[in-house]
Amino acid sequence: MQLPLLSLIVFTPAAGAAVVMFLRNDNAVRWTALAFTVLDFTLCIAMLTGFDTTTYEMQFTETHPWVPALGITYALGVDGISALFVFLTALLGWICVLASWVAIDRKVKEFMVSLLVMQALMLGVFCALDLFLFYVFWEAMLIPMYLIIGVWGGDGRVYAAFKFFLFTLAGSLVFLIGVIVLYFHGGQTFDIPALTAQHLPFPVQSWLFFAFLIAFAVKVPMVPLHTWLPDAHVQAPTAGSIILAGVLLKMGAYGFLRFSLPMLPEASVHYSTLMQALSALAIVYGGLLALAQDDLKKLVAYSSISHMGLVTLGIFTLNLRGLEGGILQMFNHGVTTGALFLFVGLIYERTHTRSIADYGGLMKVAPVYTAFLALFALSSMALPGTNSFVGELLVLSGAFAASLAIGSVAVMGALLGAAYLLGMYGKVALGPASVGLRFKIRDVDAREMAAILPLAIFVLWVGLYPKPFLAIIDASVKHLLAQVHDKGGAR
Amino acid sequence: MTDFVHPALLFILGAPLIPLLKGTIRKAYVLLIPLLAILAVLTMQPGSYGAAQFIGQEILIAKVDKLSIVFATVFTIMALIGMVYALHLTRAGQHVAAFVYVGSALGVVFAGDYLTLFLFWEGMAFASAYLVFAQRGEQAIRAGFRYLMVHITGGVVLLGGIMLHAVATGSLLFGPIEGEMGVAAYLILAGFILNAAVPPLNAWLTDAYPEATVTGAVFMSAFTTKTAVYVLARAFPGTELLVWLGTVMALYGVIYAVLENDCRRLLAYHIVSQVGYMVVGIGIGTEMAVNGATSHAFAHILYKGLLFMGAGAVIHVTGRRKLTELGGLYRTMPVTVALYMVGAFAISAFPFFSGFVTKSMVVAAAEQDHRALVVLALTMASSGTFLHTGLKLPYYMFFGVDRGLEAREPPRNMLVAMAMAAVLCIAIGVFPQPLYALLPHPVDFEPYTGVHVTESLGVLMFTALGFVVFLRALDPENTISIDTDWFYRKGARYFMWLAEKPLARYEKAVSDVSETVALPFLHGTARAGLQIDLNGVDAAVNGVARSILRGGGALRRLQTGVVTHYALAMIVGVIAATLVFAVAWR
Repeated sequence: MQLPLLSLIVFTPAAGAAVVMFLRNDNAVRWTALAFTVLDFTLCIAMLTGFDTTTYEMQFTETHPWVPALGITYALGVDGISALFVFLTALLGWICVLASWVAIDRKVKEFMVSLLVMQALMLGVFCALDLFLFYVFWEAMLIPMYLIIGVWGGDGRVYAAFKFFLFTLAGSLVFLIGVIVLYFHGGQTFDIPALTAQHLPFPVQSWLFFAFLIAFAVKVPMVPLHTWLPDAHVQAPTAGSIILAGVLLKMGAYGFLRFSLPMLPEASVHYSTLMQALSALAIVYGGLLALAQDDLKKLVAYSSISHMGLVTLGIFTLNLRGLEGGILQMFNHGVTTGALFLFVGLIYERTHTRSIADYGGLMKVAPVYTAFLALFALSSMALPGTNSFVGELLVLSGAFAASLAIGSVAVMGALLGAAYLLGMYGKVALGPASVGLRFKIRDVDAREMAAILPLAIFVLWVGLYPKPFLAIIDASVKHLLAQVHDKGGAR
Repeated sequence: MTDFVHPALLFILGAPLIPLLKGTIRKAYVLLIPLLAILAVLTMQPGSYGAAQFIGQEILIAKVDKLSIVFATVFTIMALIGMVYALHLTRAGQHVAAFVYVGSALGVVFAGDYLTLFLFWEGMAFASAYLVFAQRGEQAIRAGFRYLMVHITGGVVLLGGIMLHAVATGSLLFGPIEGEMGVAAYLILAGFILNAAVPPLNAWLTDAYPEATVTGAVFMSAFTTKTAVYVLARAFPGTELLVWLGTVMALYGVIYAVLENDCRRLLAYHIVSQVGYMVVGIGIGTEMAVNGATSHAFAHILYKGLLFMGAGAVIHVTGRRKLTELGGLYRTMPVTVALYMVGAFAISAFPFFSGFVTKSMVVAAAEQDHRALVVLALTMASSGTFLHTGLKLPYYMFFGVDRGLEAREPPRNMLVAMAMAAVLCIAIGVFPQPLYALLPHPVDFEPYTGVHVTESLGVLMFTALGFVVFLRALDPENTISIDTDWFYRKGARYFMWLAEKPLARYEKAVSDVSETVALPFLHGTARAGLQIDLNGVDAAVNGVARSILRGGGALRRLQTGVVTHYALAMIVGVIAATLVFAVAWR
């Protein structure tokens, strides 16, 4: 019998959570959590080495009956698109543990349990091939995330956690209705590949599209359903922010890719202009708001909205470049924005202020920190040679091919990105060393470096040699496009 | 020997090593790399190198032909001179930035596709911005950010153009833009001419260069605008628009130089003016004109570098940069004065100096193309150039009123670097043939004809005469009869008024457009967005939450705890349900 690799990947963190629960010593908890997340990461690498990039078929599939009466199965499997995000989630997993090493100093055990459970659920979302199973993972994620924000967050954590919970729950309910409609219209099955093969009449597709849109748009988040995000990000502990930005936001976009596009191709084509316009709005709106922020974390949070706008724009160009760029940009955003949140967290641990106005001349007291901050800031503004440039280039060329106007607006986003990131960097890193006088700041240590370096490597690797990453998603994206345009008609 | 070693790689891969080296070894190293690069350029064979696939597009890291070789030659020579000039620096940062900057400029010059070009294009902007930041101080950091933002804006415009071009033609290969000029071509052109500092997109240059470090400004004066000239020559030869833009540039820079009191800003305006000649040449687009533009870029890099080095030496020694604060330095800095004057004669196109053999080619190409107006404008600009860089600047900086400044000759490495540039300026002027042989098209032009020489000498002498008269007229001690000079004195005053009032205001408005228009608008919109967020979307969500809570509270009041009430409610409920059921059933 073949090794159930995906089940192992999904449940290793959960097993870790179970082990952690029995430990008493905080340090033992930390090391155990790290060990399990690193083990999970190595399993993911094993999965990717065995991954066949030539086919779009689901790989490493596992199927076991669960509730046969309702056609519910326990089915896991990955194609190129989900494989990339399984990898990203596992990578950020142990970086989150490292980021919480000293930042979380009370209820360490409970925190690590939440983190590990969260990790397992997120991996489950990307691996699930059964709609019911997917929904279970999707909904269950809310609980540990709610706890992470609500218990270990900042001063306004309760408000932020509630807001996050309400927004996402509201979205999920609409999604649930959609799932039920899909179940009855699609031959009473929850099997995602089987549902994808169905052809639904256009009015049904249309309704479902908007039901899914609300659910996914909250997660992405798309303007105007984004207001939970800045609060949640600002209040969440560093690891929470990294998970939110790195993985949770991707789930919305992943939902579009897994459900909206292949299951509702006609509606996707029909409403693609609307989606492009909403994405362009998010790009500019998020960028403008990022420009207006004094809070470092809020700035990065609003920049996320802008960057995710680029992702959804890429997806709904419905051409090869746009889609590949959008998906690659999801990965890049996870790496880069995850790193930026990590950096904000690191400096907050030292100074306990996130106000940009409190900083200045950081370069003189923490040169290594500022050098890496520069790398990630440049990556975030898509400087050539960094990961985001490749993604942004693909998205923009897709967007220009789809519509000149939308492409031009999206390009403005790049400009805004440069404005707020350079402005932030200048105020924080350059100038007289005022920050060193008021706070005792040490540069990054080995543990922090261990979290930073892998992200830096991916920034440059994807930036200079994106081929292996594009190869993973290539076959799946082409198949997805064929599905959309065969049924939905070319635009 | 391999056919091609990419000189950009030497610089860019060589840069990270600089901070690790110390003392003499570092000095030797930063000179060795440019020397190797010169060697690499001299030995390279034309051809295409480094073809590859990147995100499904064909790219070509290096395309070597005569046009790229001539620019690479002067770039590497200037890199060597610049490094000699900066050899006394103890901090590694500027050396690293200069290496990346030079490497990126070389990367652009060899780029065979738009992606490679864009990569190095942005690299240039960031590396050169560091040379402004390295000056430190509030003013420099602000200028550096303005510089960087302008270039990123230009980069975004360029990127947009590249995208559209790729969508339209299906190829990213970089070459002459063919056919009708579409949106894509205009966007690419806009990105290019921003870096060439074509008015009104010139303010970044004159804003940032005077704020850069003494050694950094030398590099900046050489590379950014000239890479722009290169890409224009590659992609847009014969574009009529460029002729007129270039003509305006040539005059514009000279006119604004009138106002300047900061010695390096004055020189910066002359970059605008000189690049104007090159842009005109590219716009005319005949073989001779492109040759002229290319050779003028070659000569310009050397003499402008020399002028910036001279001005930088004065700033390095005295710490002052305003002409009104300088003067009388010829006694303490004679070698600097002499070397500076070589640059001044070269930019003014004196016979037997480099500017003469190259500028005359552009003007001759314009004549050959029967563009009398252009020729007239260029000649006028020529006279203005001599007036400012050859007469006014040295007069106030080195001669004029002795302000009793304590000065001495700059460090020896600075003088050596200036001497190197000066030798090349004269060598090219006296023996133009080796330079002509490098040019992209065969050269059929003889600069030293009687007509050329007398014509240009005439213009120059007349300018010098004007300067002397003008100076004396300005001198309040001298009583002179108001006769015919009334016209030009009044004329000069009107001209000054024109330059100071409306034009300066316009210039300021253009420079400050980001502060006066864009930023308030941006911040206003951002604030409005925040308000919508807080009062609109959030208020709605919170309102829903509140009303649910209130509803819950109201419902709770129903729970009286009296069993009979509940029983009554249940009975009412059952009856109501039955009724509804009955109605619905029927």
